[in-house]
Amino acid sequence: MAKLLKIRELNLDIPKEAKRLAEMMLTDLEKSKRPVLEAVKTSLDNSFYNAKVGYLTPGDKMVRTELNVSSVQKLARVLFMLELLLKNLETGAINTKRELYYMCKGVIKKGNSRLRPLDFEDQTESDSIIDFIGDMLRVYREELNCFANDRGGQTYSQQLVVTETMPDGDKATIDLSSLGTAPYQPKNRPQALKLRARKKIDFCLIVESEGTANTLQGMGFTKRNNCILMGAQGVPSNAVRGWAKLIEEELSVPMYFFGDLDAYTLQNIFRTLKAGSAASLIRNADFSAPQVRFLGVLPEDVKKYDLNTYRVKESDPVEARALKKAKDALENDPFFLDKKNKGLADILRWLIKEKVRCEQQSFFSVDPDDPIKTEKIILEKIKSGSYI
Amino acid sequence: MTNKITKSSTAEYFAKNLQQVGFSSPLKAVLTTLKEAVDNSLDACEMANILPEISVEVKRMGAGSSKNSELVKIVVEDNGPGIDPDDLAKVFGEYLASSKFGRGQCSRGQQGIGISAATTWAQLTNAKGAFVRTKTASMRKALEARIDVDIKSNTGVVRNKETVDWDKKVSGVRVEFIFDGRIQMNGDGGLITYMEGTVLVNPHLTLHYQLLDNDWIHIERVSNQSPEIPGATLPHPHTFKLGEFITHATLFGKTSLDKFLKTGFSRISDQSIKDFVAKGLPKNLLDKSVSVLKEDDFKKVFNAVQNTELMAPSTKSVLTVGEESLSKSITRLGEIDFFSVVARKPTICDFKPVSVEVALARFKNRNLEADEPVQLLRFANRVPLQFDKSGCAITWAIESVNWKNYGLAQPKGSLPIGQYIFAVSVVSPFIKFKNASKETIDASEELVEEIRRALMQAGQKLSRHIKMEFREADLERKLSHIEQFGPILVDSLVRITKSNDARKKRAEEGLKKLLGRDSKDAVEELEEASSRLSQLKARQDKKLGTDSSGVATEISEEETVSEDSLEETVKENSKAAKSKKPTSTKKKK
Repeated sequence: MAKLLKIRELNLDIPKEAKRLAEMMLTDLEKSKRPVLEAVKTSLDNSFYNAKVGYLTPGDKMVRTELNVSSVQKLARVLFMLELLLKNLETGAINTKRELYYMCKGVIKKGNSRLRPLDFEDQTESDSIIDFIGDMLRVYREELNCFANDRGGQTYSQQLVVTETMPDGDKATIDLSSLGTAPYQPKNRPQALKLRARKKIDFCLIVESEGTANTLQGMGFTKRNNCILMGAQGVPSNAVRGWAKLIEEELSVPMYFFGDLDAYTLQNIFRTLKAGSAASLIRNADFSAPQVRFLGVLPEDVKKYDLNTYRVKESDPVEARALKKAKDALENDPFFLDKKNKGLADILRWLIKEKVRCEQQSFFSVDPDDPIKTEKIILEKIKSGSYI
Repeated sequence: MTNKITKSSTAEYFAKNLQQVGFSSPLKAVLTTLKEAVDNSLDACEMANILPEISVEVKRMGAGSSKNSELVKIVVEDNGPGIDPDDLAKVFGEYLASSKFGRGQCSRGQQGIGISAATTWAQLTNAKGAFVRTKTASMRKALEARIDVDIKSNTGVVRNKETVDWDKKVSGVRVEFIFDGRIQMNGDGGLITYMEGTVLVNPHLTLHYQLLDNDWIHIERVSNQSPEIPGATLPHPHTFKLGEFITHATLFGKTSLDKFLKTGFSRISDQSIKDFVAKGLPKNLLDKSVSVLKEDDFKKVFNAVQNTELMAPSTKSVLTVGEESLSKSITRLGEIDFFSVVARKPTICDFKPVSVEVALARFKNRNLEADEPVQLLRFANRVPLQFDKSGCAITWAIESVNWKNYGLAQPKGSLPIGQYIFAVSVVSPFIKFKNASKETIDASEELVEEIRRALMQAGQKLSRHIKMEFREADLERKLSHIEQFGPILVDSLVRITKSNDARKKRAEEGLKKLLGRDSKDAVEELEEASSRLSQLKARQDKKLGTDSSGVATEISEEETVSEDSLEETVKENSKAAKSKKPTSTKKKK
């Protein structure tokens, strides 16, 4: 089987560490002592943010699972899944979480009937076990050979050249200007990529809506500007986050994010892109782009360009929840509490107060006769420093 | 050319608008007719202090005259005081001829529309009104007749009068309607639901019924006390609007304002009159007759009355079924697993006395689906409400309670889920219905809140039982976990560490010890909880005077929830409710 590329330099031998934990548990049992497994607590109350570091990092809190009548099922499942993952690591096989869910079913079906109670009723059950193992070993899921659909953001540029080192050591060179109308869409292995600019790149623009990114591209955005244009597809996947991080690190270009003006975009999309998330505390270091700036839509744009807004309906449970989350974020999210991000917190406060939302596409209302008006506004905003 | 303006009789109005009084579909026609007949029987028995014994027959007679309908026969016979032959025409054939209109009593019937509407419906669809047999205690023979409604003049017409022997009957009425309808047995609008509801809130009723070709069902009374109907009450002035106030005054003719205020309303004393004057009621109006007062005068009087603080109305006029009777009555609906009953003290909502009673029960054999919403039985003045559930104050109150707190599943803002019957009864001499057909109680904030409180008290009682069951199930699950997962866990560890059999054995023994300790603790805990529950059961049985082998468990007495703890729950639940659904009438509308 082809060798896999490492996602990062990991100073941990996973099979060895797994064996050490199992040995510890077995010894405890022999002594009638309750074995304990510990994993990093991946939640907001265990998240720390330091503007100099730039992303959310884990605190000291751990999730302790001690063997008792209530936890015996979980622990048996953790070890069962761990064995499966260790086997994959040994043979070099890779799987998605969904595939692992079915593989478990297969092993249980073919194996001893005693195993039947282990069976997962749905994928959320097996997913949580996989996540626990990752947090317990402090390794990325990919390092356990478990890959998600790792589609990166569609990227366009006339200047960017990517060199990819293949698992077998071969190198592939991709000149983004030679792809015609097709975008470049990297997989979630940013460490296998080397970036080069054929000409100085002035900025990288990440657009929340891939559709809008495509419109800008279709109207010649990257022809007129020395830039990288990327679609984020809503909440950025690991691949998008890793790719943005790579661009930021390798090319040192200013990064801008253009998306809706609402609590969801600010907290779930932009914050995740810039500083990672509480759920992925152990991987934020490699999967966040701390330099990215929020270009808009800004509250000031709404007034300046007379943009159409919508009332946030508090009777709509989804919108009400987003507002409540925004209020919580102002009180509990270390990212928004940091004074470096006061500007962003102010936007959240404005959203809570005004109870309106404004979509990125509303820029198209400014001058419907000018097909590149949105591009012009974006450039004007970058030039005038109208971002946070 | 101008159109001639004609005047129509009350009967004409209702004949054209029967949908307003419960005859909007063939399905409702059956239920409304039955309901009106049974209500009249029950009211009559209670007025005469007779323990009611009623028999009901519902039969299909063939196809109806209108599309999608069948010809239905309903017979209701009671042992009430009977109707004086001279009153037959009025009772069955004249609208608004009621002994109960606007009297401020908790009777089922109020206006005198229902049974005349049933006669009209039968007459319109089958050309024949009501067939009635009546016998009062003073009559030697019974009288049979057919009563039709003369729609033009709003009077009843008695036809085919005949005296017949009705030996065994001391007194009573038998009424028969044949009309177009459609029979539904089950579900919210079903006949069975109606029968069960009627049985539940009338513990003193013995009911025999036969629906279609099914066997006769006999349900004996569980209480030998005919409910004491509290005396009539006068309305409280703060419940009036200006127009109503003026209309109310016209009923008093040449009475002086002073007398009108003191005798037309409750809670107005000489002191109140002085207070009214202080609040701007012109003193010179007091001696004037209300018939000569101008609208402006009325306005001044009305405003002064509204701006003066008055004693809240008395709650004495409210009738309750009572926890004990309700507890006994609910066992007549089927074999009960457990139940909880709460009868709130009568209180004042929107200046009207009201009493709310709640019975929550889980049945063993009622074919209720575990994943369906609970079966809801709503009652207003002890009459089952079976249509337009969603707009009713009772439904709103149930939906606004967070039933998850009490161990029941509940989709957001909906009825809880499970094999339960939720019976909620609202009794008041002045129930505000949304429509004349009395299908839904208008949801005022105060009333919804009062019902919520009753529900939460009942929920708290219920939750103890549910939690106990849950704990038992949880324990069983955990005990089986030890057997199931322990060996798998050890196997995995041995494989990963590539250990030998000796280590495996040692680990298995260690595991057994560890988990054995856990299960021992859990078993002890459960035993303690179970013994507490059976003690409680025994005490409850003693209280109810039933055999301790009875399966049904009522969770009550010392489990009674204090108002303090309820207050906390109310607050908690209010928060949940606010995020779920506004309870104010305005918003809902």
